[in-house]
Amino acid sequence: MLDAKAIEKTATKIGLKDIKQGKVLSSHDVPNLKYAWDNGVAIGRYLAELKKGKIIGKQCHGCKRVLVPPRLFCEICWKPTDEWTYVKDTGTILTCVVSHINWDASRVKKGQRYHTPAVIELDGAGRDQGILHLIDEIEPYDLKIGMKVKAVWKKPEERIGAITDIKYFKVVK
Amino acid sequence: MGHTERLQNTTDVGYWTGEIPLEYVYTYGRAGEAYFKNLKNNGAFLGARCEKCDITYVPPRTYCEKCFDRLEDSYVKVEPTGTVHTYTVLHKNLDGSTKEDPVIMAMVRLDGTDGGVVHYLGGLKPDQVHIGMRVKAILKPKTERIGAITDIKHFKPL
Repeated sequence: MLDAKAIEKTATKIGLKDIKQGKVLSSHDVPNLKYAWDNGVAIGRYLAELKKGKIIGKQCHGCKRVLVPPRLFCEICWKPTDEWTYVKDTGTILTCVVSHINWDASRVKKGQRYHTPAVIELDGAGRDQGILHLIDEIEPYDLKIGMKVKAVWKKPEERIGAITDIKYFKVVK
Repeated sequence: MGHTERLQNTTDVGYWTGEIPLEYVYTYGRAGEAYFKNLKNNGAFLGARCEKCDITYVPPRTYCEKCFDRLEDSYVKVEPTGTVHTYTVLHKNLDGSTKEDPVIMAMVRLDGTDGGVVHYLGGLKPDQVHIGMRVKAILKPKTERIGAITDIKHFKPL
């Protein structure tokens, strides 16, 4: 059994204030966590095509699926994929969420728009698979699964070959 | 079965860079706090003695790792002298560049204890070190000490 008095006797209560005032010794560090991630052949092509304003996938002739983002290997047919295929920049919302928190878990401030990430099934890509992106130009709580959306691209000169070359998807009739 | 497409040229390799923001403050715990405060204020080493197990821990622990007895009331003064338990000679900096002068790092077993300190050896050339060598801690002046392992400048041969 835990004895509250025994815990009180050995416990040390310190807060950020004590550390800042130097009441307890501490070391502070900001480690350098830079990294480089190898795109590989498939994602490399995907990103290069995004820079051109196009979305490319790769089809497997075995299961007929068009994989987006493209992959060199089909995990269902267990063989290399076959054909590079462009897909449209329009699609359907497969699932979406209204997020009240930012990426760092801080709350979205009053007056700012809630984040609305969604999984989007692109026209021309295999069914029931989608890419994750943001939806905008709509009231967050008006979003519904099944809505038709279209990519809003950055200007060609602003594109760098990243998924953020698409600014967001907007709902279209 | 290999992939049908592969990169033939290393300059074709694309990459994506990122950075993970991370910042932390580490406090040393009750025993660590006592150890480094003592080093800072008194310029001396502290150990934790378990009479039952006949073990002297350096750095000190709040409890014995063998019998789980409380050791916080059994801190003992430890002499700043010891022997080189093992050592290595560093020729490279953290970034992989070559050091102008090699640096010796040693695990020093402090006298009368079962623990020790990993630190620099100073005042000698790499070919002069040997395991079992008698050494002594050289501390920074009190005004420069902050309560960290770097309060010790290095160990030097007796």
